[in-house]
Amino acid sequence: MKYSNKYIKLGIVLALCISSSCKKLEPEVYSRVQNVNFWQTPDQIAAGIAPAYSQLRNIPDGNFHDLQEQPSDELVVPARGNDWLAAGQHIQLFTHTWNAQTQQVQDTWTDLYSGVTKINFILSIVNNLQPAPPTLPAINAELKTLRALYYYWLMDLYGNVPLVTDFNTNPNAVKNSTRKEVYDFVEKEIKDNMGLLSTDKSLNTYGRLNKYSAFCILAKLYLNSNQYVGTTKYPETIAACDSVINAGYSLEGNYFDNFAQENQNSKENIFVVPFDNINIGGNNWAAQSLHYQNDKNYQIAGGGWNGYCTNAEFYSHFDTTSTYSVRGKNTYRTYNDERAGQFIIGQQYAEVATYPPNANVLSSSTDATLKIKDALTGLDLAFNPDFTDISSPAASFRLAGLRSVKYWPNPGVQTSQSNDMVIFRLADVLLMRAEAALRNGSASNTDLGYVNQIRLRAYSGVQKYAWTMGDLTLNNLLYERGRELAWENWRRQDVIRFGTFANARAPQKTLDADKHWEIFPIPVNQHTANPNLVQNPGYTAF
Amino acid sequence: MNIRKYLKSACLLVVFLVRSFFAFSQDGAITGTVTDDRGAPLPGVTVTAVGGTGVTATGINGKYSINAGAAKTLRFSFVGFAPKEIALAGQHTVNVTLLESAQSLNAVVVVGYGTARKKDLTGAVANVTAKDFNPGVISNPMQQIQGKVAGLAITQPGGDPNANLIVRLRGQTSLSGGQTPLIVVDGIPLDNPNQLSNISASDISSYDVLKDVSATAIYGSRGANGVIIINTKKGAAGRTKVEYNGYVGVDKLRGDFNLLSADEWRTAVKDVPGIDQQTIDALDKGANTDWLKAITRTGFSHSNNLAVSGGTETFTYRASLNYMNQQGIVINTGKEQIGLRFNAENKSFDDKLTIQTGLSYNQSNRKLADYNIFEYVNATPPTFPVKNPDGTYFGYSDYHEQNPVAQQMLQTNTSTDYLTQLFAKADYKLFDFVTIGTQGSISHLNTQSGFFQPVLPGVGNKNSANQINGNVDSKKADVHLNFLKDFGNHHLSGTLVYEYNDFVNDNFSAAGQEYLVEDLTNNNLGAGNSAKNVIASYKERFLIESYLARAVYNYNSTYYLTASIRRDGSNKFGANNRWGTFPSVSAAWRIKNESFLKDVSWLDELKINAGYGIVGNQDAITPYSTLLTLGSGGRFYTPGNPSNLYPDSYTPNQNANPDLKWERRVGKNIGFNFGMFNNRLSGSVNAFDDKTKDLLFTYTVPVPPYVYSSILANVGDLRNKGLEVQLSGDVVRGSNFSWSTSGQITFTKTTITSLSGKFNGTEISTDKVPIGVAQGRGYQNNYLTYLTVGQSPYVFYLPKFAGLSPTLDPSTNSNQLYYDADGNKVADITKAKYNYIDPSPKFNYGISNTFNYKQLSLNFFLRGVYGQKLFNNYDNIVSNYTRLPGNNVTKNALTNGIRGSQTASDYWLQNASYLKLDNVTFSYTFNKVKGFESLRLYVTGTNLLTFTPYKGMDPEVVNGDSAQAYIDANMYGYGYYPKSKTFILGASVAFK
Repeated sequence: MKYSNKYIKLGIVLALCISSSCKKLEPEVYSRVQNVNFWQTPDQIAAGIAPAYSQLRNIPDGNFHDLQEQPSDELVVPARGNDWLAAGQHIQLFTHTWNAQTQQVQDTWTDLYSGVTKINFILSIVNNLQPAPPTLPAINAELKTLRALYYYWLMDLYGNVPLVTDFNTNPNAVKNSTRKEVYDFVEKEIKDNMGLLSTDKSLNTYGRLNKYSAFCILAKLYLNSNQYVGTTKYPETIAACDSVINAGYSLEGNYFDNFAQENQNSKENIFVVPFDNINIGGNNWAAQSLHYQNDKNYQIAGGGWNGYCTNAEFYSHFDTTSTYSVRGKNTYRTYNDERAGQFIIGQQYAEVATYPPNANVLSSSTDATLKIKDALTGLDLAFNPDFTDISSPAASFRLAGLRSVKYWPNPGVQTSQSNDMVIFRLADVLLMRAEAALRNGSASNTDLGYVNQIRLRAYSGVQKYAWTMGDLTLNNLLYERGRELAWENWRRQDVIRFGTFANARAPQKTLDADKHWEIFPIPVNQHTANPNLVQNPGYTAF
Repeated sequence: MNIRKYLKSACLLVVFLVRSFFAFSQDGAITGTVTDDRGAPLPGVTVTAVGGTGVTATGINGKYSINAGAAKTLRFSFVGFAPKEIALAGQHTVNVTLLESAQSLNAVVVVGYGTARKKDLTGAVANVTAKDFNPGVISNPMQQIQGKVAGLAITQPGGDPNANLIVRLRGQTSLSGGQTPLIVVDGIPLDNPNQLSNISASDISSYDVLKDVSATAIYGSRGANGVIIINTKKGAAGRTKVEYNGYVGVDKLRGDFNLLSADEWRTAVKDVPGIDQQTIDALDKGANTDWLKAITRTGFSHSNNLAVSGGTETFTYRASLNYMNQQGIVINTGKEQIGLRFNAENKSFDDKLTIQTGLSYNQSNRKLADYNIFEYVNATPPTFPVKNPDGTYFGYSDYHEQNPVAQQMLQTNTSTDYLTQLFAKADYKLFDFVTIGTQGSISHLNTQSGFFQPVLPGVGNKNSANQINGNVDSKKADVHLNFLKDFGNHHLSGTLVYEYNDFVNDNFSAAGQEYLVEDLTNNNLGAGNSAKNVIASYKERFLIESYLARAVYNYNSTYYLTASIRRDGSNKFGANNRWGTFPSVSAAWRIKNESFLKDVSWLDELKINAGYGIVGNQDAITPYSTLLTLGSGGRFYTPGNPSNLYPDSYTPNQNANPDLKWERRVGKNIGFNFGMFNNRLSGSVNAFDDKTKDLLFTYTVPVPPYVYSSILANVGDLRNKGLEVQLSGDVVRGSNFSWSTSGQITFTKTTITSLSGKFNGTEISTDKVPIGVAQGRGYQNNYLTYLTVGQSPYVFYLPKFAGLSPTLDPSTNSNQLYYDADGNKVADITKAKYNYIDPSPKFNYGISNTFNYKQLSLNFFLRGVYGQKLFNNYDNIVSNYTRLPGNNVTKNALTNGIRGSQTASDYWLQNASYLKLDNVTFSYTFNKVKGFESLRLYVTGTNLLTFTPYKGMDPEVVNGDSAQAYIDANMYGYGYYPKSKTFILGASVAFK
């Protein structure tokens, strides 16, 4: 009796504990969203697609920028003592001695392929939504075109890259494709989707690919076709360029308005990567180039990092003749060719520099107190384009090279500048049109007119700077592209196309022994992750 | 009025009457006092007249009286103390001092969900009690047992009072994240082992370390890394006891980077190729600064713990209050801790109902080091001053180079932990052989950290501030049933438990920039530039539900068999893999109890044991690893929607793996324990062979096809084999002088046996997973260590250094040479032949010696590691002449010939075996001081000497904790807080 009571008590306790445990151990998610619960509204779909573009934020001034500019003739990052030595990676890029472990070679791959695989993921989701969103065809076309752009760059840089277009691809089946296969894929993908792309050029498609951006990709693909697959496609290049030229874009009045802090209203820019100091970080262009003490004139908070610069050889192709004006103790210069103002040269003075950079640049002063000094060494802060070393511990070498203020620094900002960074703009298309026509043997006054639009914009409409048909030569075009598009990530393929890529150049680059440097090696860490990958010719095989 | 007083008087009366009777009626009455080696009286000691009939026990004051009759010998015995026999030679007073036995077989060990006597254990369990604890400035209680337990490796990565220790039991048990043993304080598992740093070391009475898998299997999915059970001090029935433990200490910098002094710099820079006088003059600001000295100081510490305990037969309690203040040796760092702990036990209803409660509250105020300053120390030329002549800080800014003193002094960098733990347990004896009970606990850790960086001199930064408020909460409850029944010589006991654990982690943070008034630091976050305000929050939750059962059987305390099974469910896993089953079985044979050994008098104990079990590990995965979840993909620009120009985007935040399953560790252990020569020599030997299967690891996958280059998956197996030997001996046992020594040595070998698994139904395998990366300027993705089949985890894969070339090679911009596959010297590192080099220690060991002479005691403790190798990443970067003149270098850089860019080769992989004189203590115990029950004073020095061939600052660096195992860097946040040597003066006092 007494015992049975106890058994009942025991039974109740056990029953309670078992019953309390019957609930399923389903995970509860709080501060993240489960994919299955997302993609419900148009705004959610837009927010789910946006990351396909955000991968581009690593492009304009990141590892990609290093690969597309430093092996060319217009950008060098010398080792200033231990500063910017960075295991010699910048030296390797400039002197064409990089290898499969060079950091930018490894990281650019991931930057670009993350764009590809994010798009593969998004496509696998949006095409299985029930009900299908009404804008699905347009979404597919836009994403596939963007993926083609990523593949275009992968093909341009690495040549024989794996072509993966399905999110659920067996990783063991991923192998190199040939450069030709990737080229063909890019061409077909753009052509197939062109018809569904938006023709809107307003802010509604800002920072996204429209139909004209797609023509820009095609133009780049065709113009360099001989380098990619060994066949020229100049008429196709001209046709693609014309589709853009006739779309209604127009050159901005001042060259620098395309790159200003608030450049979203440029009528010239076709495709940009939006940045914002508060909301979209990553534009560190100004900090990478300006000196630590450039906060005193270019107001870069905390100073720059004293890295990227250009040297005398490239700068010599700029027309730096100026008109000078004297105000008080200071003399200011205004460049005849606006574009010369993108590089700053000589002594820096502690007076806030004014926009645009082509006009009223403080070039000398009799007020010695205005001279900015390098805080670490006490030297006068004067940028000097003449240097033949690529690495030197000398204090004066900290001041070697001219710095870029093309993307005008935002006052009080160090990193994360708000200038949207340009991928495609009309001036590039006009120059491509003229070049393709010249190479095609069909250059006409139309092409000369396109080039002169650009030249006269740079020279504030002064006609004497216009070219004649006789001036329209490939050699002149190479340097006109240099002046107009400096550091805009096209120079590496330009110098390959114009045949000067392999040349010896200052500082300390010797003539390339062969052409294998024209594509980069497959990164060693990618081979570690995927042993199927085969190394490009000319590099140490895996 | 007071029933206790009445009873006490009655007892005394009875005792008096009985004593009087014997005193008058018998002649052989002997009296005396029994004390321990510190002079404290021992109550409850059994006093036996050998050969006679008298048996008695000592009273509260340690006094006894016995009628020895015809007996010639008195035997004194007491649990936990070596028994003593005294020959009678006519004396009537016999005072005895009992020494604690080296191996107290009857000591009770907590084995998880129950207790066992040490002699009844069937698994590998080590027990360390207060008398063996390491003394010194203890910022984390685990330092008390560093080096004391075979198989338990405790590493202090630096001298930071706020850094976490690295604790490993029986080697590398897993590859991802959680490898720290589960830490259980008074039956309550800590949510995070690092919470232990909030607990006062002086409240701890013992550590029980469950080592082999058969012992930890009772903790199922949380037992894979071993279990350390911490028991706090409890009250005992008797007079109220008031105790004080405290110390004052000084910490001094130990070690040096060997950077150039200002004069050495001035001499060295003259020879830099391409240097000009202008450059030298510009960098020589005329100062002579030792930057390491500039950021360090002598730290003062004090710790005070006051405890009150006592109780009656039915109610016992202990309450303690502690306060500790430890200055770090780096300027403006330190830890201040205040804590309260209370526990009580009540027995009622004829001792059928036992209720235990415990509560502890600890607050730790931390002033943190900015780890960037350790890099600035190496970067800044010694010719720069700390301050300007006007007393302001000298300001400068260059790549990873600014004034470290200014940065550390001007910044506010704090963190405060508030840890509250409550527990209650009720057990009811349903029948005399069945107890049923329930236990519940709540743990709440709130951490509030704050940061403010003003505009720093010469840097030109914007000021910025933040506050972060994080909570780690858990609720645990169980219902348990214990039974215990003897059938003649058959003893059977068992445990059944149902347990439910609920864990919630959340945090909230706010940050701002550009404050007009810097004096407010981070106390008015909203006052900055409103456009720069950032808020964020996070929350996650997971559950573990468990059923467990254990049965323990022994026959005549000779043959033992233990079996347990635990079933755990965790919602971290996908629906198909949510539940795991973890069984174990172990057996022991106490050979000493057999008739053929009973009479072997020199052998006190001999037992062999063997066990097998399976445990799980789920620490390696976060709650939502199996789900395809979307997190912020950053904001994007929508100029077409002016009301929300920058909405947030959503993107997968991981390569989700719905197939994740439990990582299982299958372990075997075999061992024996012995005691001989009256327990003057005792010890244990254990050998283990554990296999971890379905290893959870975040490993590299190709992009494409994956979105991210890493994925958490069950990718392989590893095997841990080892041998542990623990010995203690009383070399000299005298009444005035004694010498005891103890030591342990542990050999472990970990090998990866497979690296293949499944993801999304696809078989994936890899031969080499890159892990550890070289740190420093220009290094990125320069992997040094790998996981590869047939090697230890974190094996190095490096080119063999072949000397130096007179010129810089353009491909590497370095003058270092390597051997290629044909044995030729090559300058191009991509053509070098790479070799695997195992950096893991072959064995580690600890030796403790204690000498007692009367009341004086000397203890010293040595511990060491043999066969370890470290990649001296610090040297690799800083011992490079090319850094001159803008950055400082070590003296080594002047002679090693290295020029140009740094590259990683085996040249930098250095032997890092070491032997440390970890601590030395002198103590004096006062015999009779008025007003004190006991008084002991001691002086301790810690981290006094290190013997090592290693060329870095200290061979004991981050080891096995992170991907950066065996890589000794001091940059990019991997900088380490320099170590200190410590001297303390302490007192242990019990008041009358």
